[in-house]
Amino acid sequence: MYTTERRPSMAERRPTIVAMSAQSVVPHLAGIEDPLPDTTPEKVDVLIVGTGMVESVLAAALSWQGSSVLHIDRNDHYGDSSATLTVDQIKKWVNSVNQGLFSGCYDNAKLYVSTSIGNHNGKYASRDFGIDLAPKVLFAKSDLLSILVRSRVHQYLEFQSLSNFHTFENDNFEKLTNTKQEIFTDQKLPLMTKRNLMKFIKFVLNWEEQPEVWKPYADTPLCDLLVEKFRLEKAQVFELMFSIGLCYNMQTKTPEALQRIRRYLSSFDVYGPFSVLYSKYGGPGELSQGFCRSAAVGGATYKLNETLTSYDPNTKMALFGDGSQVYVTEKVVASPSQAPKDSRNIPNQKYEVHRLTCVVEKSCEQWFSEGESAAVIVFPPGSLKSGNVEVVQAFILGSGSEICPGGTSVWYLSTMQQGSRAEMDLDAALEAMEASLIRESSTDLEHDDSLVQFGPNGETLINSVRLGQSFKQYVPRERIQFLLKLYYTQYTSTPPFNVVDPSFFDINNIDGNGKLIPGASDNGVLYTAMPSGEISYDEVVTAVRVLYEKIVGSDDDFFDLDFEDEDEAPMNKADYENAIEDDEDVDMNVGRHESAEFVGEMEI
Amino acid sequence: MLQFKLVLLGDSSVGKSSIVHRFVKDSFDEFRESTIGAAFLSQTIKIEDKGSQQEVVIKFEIWDTAGQERYKSLAPMYYRNANAALVVYDVTQQDSLAKAQGWVNELKTKVGEDDLVICLVGNKLDLCTEEGESSSKPKAVESSDAEGYANEQGLLFHEVSAKTGEGVKQVFQSIGEKLYEFKKHELANSKGRQGAGGDTVNVQLQRPSTNDATSCCG
Repeated sequence: MYTTERRPSMAERRPTIVAMSAQSVVPHLAGIEDPLPDTTPEKVDVLIVGTGMVESVLAAALSWQGSSVLHIDRNDHYGDSSATLTVDQIKKWVNSVNQGLFSGCYDNAKLYVSTSIGNHNGKYASRDFGIDLAPKVLFAKSDLLSILVRSRVHQYLEFQSLSNFHTFENDNFEKLTNTKQEIFTDQKLPLMTKRNLMKFIKFVLNWEEQPEVWKPYADTPLCDLLVEKFRLEKAQVFELMFSIGLCYNMQTKTPEALQRIRRYLSSFDVYGPFSVLYSKYGGPGELSQGFCRSAAVGGATYKLNETLTSYDPNTKMALFGDGSQVYVTEKVVASPSQAPKDSRNIPNQKYEVHRLTCVVEKSCEQWFSEGESAAVIVFPPGSLKSGNVEVVQAFILGSGSEICPGGTSVWYLSTMQQGSRAEMDLDAALEAMEASLIRESSTDLEHDDSLVQFGPNGETLINSVRLGQSFKQYVPRERIQFLLKLYYTQYTSTPPFNVVDPSFFDINNIDGNGKLIPGASDNGVLYTAMPSGEISYDEVVTAVRVLYEKIVGSDDDFFDLDFEDEDEAPMNKADYENAIEDDEDVDMNVGRHESAEFVGEMEI
Repeated sequence: MLQFKLVLLGDSSVGKSSIVHRFVKDSFDEFRESTIGAAFLSQTIKIEDKGSQQEVVIKFEIWDTAGQERYKSLAPMYYRNANAALVVYDVTQQDSLAKAQGWVNELKTKVGEDDLVICLVGNKLDLCTEEGESSSKPKAVESSDAEGYANEQGLLFHEVSAKTGEGVKQVFQSIGEKLYEFKKHELANSKGRQGAGGDTVNVQLQRPSTNDATSCCG
């Protein structure tokens, strides 16, 4: 279907690189070695519009493959729909949303900002905060993580672990029992339940190879399998589906749910006793900056504050807001949120993700594990006063993540519930978190020894169940101080679980039999999808890979990078600090197999 | 060993990268294979602790702009946690000092001046030293003007030639010494004190640590 000739891969291009470096003992400062043109390039292979997560990873992939890339963004900052914003930038963004600038991508943005932020004499500055528009967590065993390491982009970033997953049930937060040790030492679990749970965990790590177990349940929700085959109780079913699997509702089908549960378990103990990481200073907004920098080092040209006005697929000319233009030899890729005026080709973003982001004047340390500054709280279906059908997920970050000042924390709540009841669910979840936080920080409970337990490694654990029980008699005396509250609805073309549907990228394919829409400013433009509501980065690499294949003709050389930096040069022992010791453990199967994202085993 | 992040700033064509080249090359005797894609360049220098007469090794992690300065498109990530900055101008270009001053202002708003060592560097000295030669250009920026500005702003100041190497080592040496002075002061002042969230542990992604809970700490 695609006639695009496959260009030489990195591997094929390598001899020239080696020849180049053989002459020079000086490390190559790519991107600034060549004399730089003063104006926008006249001709590029690929024009990318919007510096969101998918576009940025794509820019890096294409640059290192050898394509010339012009990457623009209409904002004065990186990140687009996955940006990390200061409070002032949030205000501006909310205004833009409410002026309809992002119609079809965002609406219904409501913002409250306390006078303590900004205003010259405020306690906090706007830039003390880095709020993500589409916050995400990173699984320790995932395709994105191996690309981060392979591309060396991880060296621009800092990562921290997140091990506390709480499930909200019966007005209590239950801390996740996710390790073998914890399952065995958990005094509450009956022996039979422990056995059943261990049986299931063994099964799920190799579930695909045991069709006799799950095939009869292939089209039914996972809970049927868990209850009928593994005889698990409701508490364990909820924990497995919603905390470990991070599923969105009870209807989640068996294969999808098993895949998600395994994702968590196979990520455990890769870097330590946790499954999930997040990046410091901000999430996808930070990663986007890192991949853009990598693309720039690989030769891409960057231009913020620039808009695409139109693209003509016949002349292959793209026009920009500042009057300049460029000839595009291959493709124009654009984020729906940065489509040119008079665009008619944006795929329908029909799924809603409702978000509520709060900045709270509380450190929330009681929710975090020691040495950590983050937690996830999951509100399963039916656990909230609002009678929620869909899960509400809350991702909490404390000041250790450097996205907010000491003594504050950021709460990211989201739900896939469609329509107006989503906001009721978000409010109910917020209320539950607020109430529990007030109770937990109450001094009345401080000297109750039964609230403190010791973990397998001797670390102290607050017994949140006991806390929950004593909460019921407790009447809050203080209220939580909110520094910021932001509600918004985000739209995406990516349905839950169907991580990426390649057909979305065909709509506008003029190389095929697509028809041009007269008068449209965006004929021939390949649109990316808006970020989905998925709390992990799992959709990103799949989406980039599909786009990459459409542009390059094959994904054989997708991030086929072979940087031989520091570890190749035997220098001082001390210089090994940044050296990559052994990639094999992390670079599992990237670029080799289509569906190999979650291969991996865990010793049980 | 102390490690510092150093960023380069200045307009394109003032020779930012060639200064780094000269610095890295002059003290570089190992053949290093393709470093394309290296996140940043590193180089170590040695300075002397004036009190103890002991040698201190300082490692610079040098971030280039990768061309992102051209359209004012540097990301916050570039400036974050920078300990030192080299702001470069071209001594043969009249307006390049003014542009460098613009970058100094940009730095001061983006990083905050307290703990940042900024060094103003006039490059291409070789072009205007040998009078009478056909390639020579008049010196368009007087040393006294640039130095006056640097003093006023509390910046280090050097004039160099990346081409001949003149003055390049001294730039990094003086930055290293000033950083060490700061660091020593800071270490003495902040004994046992942790900043906000200072005890949250980072995870090193290049080091998977199967079944070893302690090796995740950096």
